[in-house]
Amino acid sequence: MTVASDRLELARLVHRFGFGPKPGQFKHLLDGGIVRARASVLTHGGTDRGLARVVEPQITDLGQAPSDDAASRIYWQNVWDQYMSLAMWWLDRMVLADHPLVERMTWFWHGHWATSIDKVEFALPMKIQNETLRTYALGNFSDLSRAMVLDGALIYWLDGEVNVADAPNENLGREFMELFTLGVGNYSENDVKAAARGLTGYQVDQTSGRVTFDATQHDPAPFSLLGVHDAFSATDISDLVTSREESAAFIARRMWFRFVSTSVPMPRTLVKSFARRNIASLVYAVARDPALRRPGLSQAKSPVEWFVSACRALRVTPSKLDSGSVSWYLGQMGQFPFSPPSVGGWPFDEAWLTASSTQYRFQTAAYLVQHGSVTPLGSSKSTMVQTAADWLGVAKWSPRTEQSLRQAVSDPSALATLALCAPEYVVSV
Amino acid sequence: MIDFSRRQFLKFTGASALGTVAATLTLEDVASAAAAAALPVGTPILVIVTLYGGNDGLNTVVPYQDSTYATMRPGISLSAADVLPLANGLALNGSMTGFKKLWDQQKLAIVLGVSYPQPNYSHFTSMAIWQTASPVEQITSGWIGRWLDAQPRDPFTAIGIGDVLTPLMAGDHRVGSVLPLYGLDVPSGSFGVEAQLLGRPSSTDTVITSMATGAIGDLFSLASTVGPVLTNVPPSTASDLAQQLDVVAKLITANVPTRVYSVTTDGFDVHADELTTQNALLGTVSDAISSFLTQVGATARANDVVVMVYSEFGRRVEANGSQGTDHGTSGPVFVAGNRIAGGFYGEQPSLTQLVDGDLAVTTDFRDVYASMLQDVLATDPQQIIPGWTTKLNLLHA
Repeated sequence: MTVASDRLELARLVHRFGFGPKPGQFKHLLDGGIVRARASVLTHGGTDRGLARVVEPQITDLGQAPSDDAASRIYWQNVWDQYMSLAMWWLDRMVLADHPLVERMTWFWHGHWATSIDKVEFALPMKIQNETLRTYALGNFSDLSRAMVLDGALIYWLDGEVNVADAPNENLGREFMELFTLGVGNYSENDVKAAARGLTGYQVDQTSGRVTFDATQHDPAPFSLLGVHDAFSATDISDLVTSREESAAFIARRMWFRFVSTSVPMPRTLVKSFARRNIASLVYAVARDPALRRPGLSQAKSPVEWFVSACRALRVTPSKLDSGSVSWYLGQMGQFPFSPPSVGGWPFDEAWLTASSTQYRFQTAAYLVQHGSVTPLGSSKSTMVQTAADWLGVAKWSPRTEQSLRQAVSDPSALATLALCAPEYVVSV
Repeated sequence: MIDFSRRQFLKFTGASALGTVAATLTLEDVASAAAAAALPVGTPILVIVTLYGGNDGLNTVVPYQDSTYATMRPGISLSAADVLPLANGLALNGSMTGFKKLWDQQKLAIVLGVSYPQPNYSHFTSMAIWQTASPVEQITSGWIGRWLDAQPRDPFTAIGIGDVLTPLMAGDHRVGSVLPLYGLDVPSGSFGVEAQLLGRPSSTDTVITSMATGAIGDLFSLASTVGPVLTNVPPSTASDLAQQLDVVAKLITANVPTRVYSVTTDGFDVHADELTTQNALLGTVSDAISSFLTQVGATARANDVVVMVYSEFGRRVEANGSQGTDHGTSGPVFVAGNRIAGGFYGEQPSLTQLVDGDLAVTTDFRDVYASMLQDVLATDPQQIIPGWTTKLNLLHA
């Protein structure tokens, strides 16, 4: 006998800390009891047979663009193809992972340190950044921040490569404190100017993402940052900023906001779990918070989250689809990996729940069902609606959705398409 | 070089992918003949244009005769030859020929030095302040959203073009609708009936699932009314903003009962290589808006439409050395339309009497909003912006 709150908690765990269940997984976890289920969802770091099936993309340094037209055409086609391979590779990882927590956290950090290929242009720097985010996804936040402040894609994205001692450019310094590490209100405009000076002199090779330090372009003079007077390098700035209490509270709040609720404030005790900047312990604390058993804390899935969870259920491998179609569908819903709309990352909740995105969600669902397998639904008309809830990891269908699905039981593909577009699946209830 | 903007890549991939779309039919199958509740001619319509990124006001409305301007911006200042002179030593960026024509026709109001007390330098905080119209208290509802809260529930009342909702259209109880650029295409047949069922409210809905439900319901009701209007996809050679405004013009012409439209464009965060980028962007904005006004100007709605253009902040007076400018404070707001009393409003901030190195704020943006609320939307501004009592008079009486 399963308690309703167990079902609710498990549905939230698998959709928010993973990308939804693979076929059979939700029921299996439920039958094993919520305590074991929690541990399973938070498992990471071991061998992952699903991930082992992912094929590494060929991402290389394409060097400078050639000047003649024919060669240039091929060159930019390669740039495009590498971008698509990179995006499909990451989607594959999200879809195929048996224990998707690390991919889920990499996705979270991609939205946090939001960098877009729209400006960076080349896949290689984005891939390097992606690997960095994955390496530290559940590691130490200060280490992650140190690595990111020297990340080629991030520096290029925020004009760090033109930030020089004679003429500081504040873009990277400001966003570093505002969006990545401290949060607005926890530093002054003078701190922004100081951070910009400390971050001078880091040069980026755009096509490879390689970062070099040019001491002649660096401002070596001591200055005052967050009340500390010293000569600062990029890593010094990172260490100082992430050591602040405000930084711990800021990151904890961001995580609570993205994983639990945008309306209910985080419990004050949560930040204690992040005292040593250990991301894993913060994630565990968030995932084990009793709030996950309380009704009402719904969150909309972003288009990529929804797409990946549908692929997992339907056993669709994104790289085996036509990448033009995948980028079209995801783009029309407003989200494509490596292309956040701004340094502030992706929007949330009602922004995704528009008539426009709904239209493309129906089309995408039909496309994925056409390319996937709905056999987990079985053929029993009397149980198919409940089977669909277990298959997709939905706590409970609303009466309206049940009514809609019941009308489709003679056509499992139609039922699957409807279920994927039902409010209880589009939203992590 | 390939432009990797999101829209571009959709165009790049869209054509081939469209052919694979299954299980949906064209709108003609479901569309009803015309809007059930046509907007009466003479009802004012507000079109809000948001420029994301912080548009550099000084290179938009240019104090080209002020020697301090050239001195402080080596390499990125515009000279007399690069601009379109207006009056009072100010000129439009040379790419804004469409706006210059509107100015000459006295249909363009330029509000100078617009921001709010103690301007915030963060894109996100400052844009949130503009969109919520609440500089001090952090709130989540947008100013048009709060206006929507006071209107009857109707997915047509406020429409944004694009893929995600602009926060200014999110109220406490109601949100504006979002229409995609490429028309509407909804499930049909028995599947369509079942899909439509998913859009019915349920007592078990949470705040967020009710939004998902509402979006499904809105899709079907929007499709049956505006679908036929949108089947003519705008030319893909037009700029993204021009395409959005083309959709708006078609909806207005079709008498869709919409009183507020929101369109957006981005790329104004010119920390580096400002001149080329910003000139091109401003040309796009000016061309798109002036063509749009010409398009609706040929209809019975000519006198109904008012366009307002704003950005979250202006930029630093001094160039930053990467041929760009960092985040600043006040900037101009444009308001255009047949009923607009063209000319300058407010005061151009001084380039020598700076506040903390930045332009002073001479006009509060809420004075512009109050004019839009009272004179365009016939709503008491105080109901939307509590305690705000002043306003500009931008429209002919």
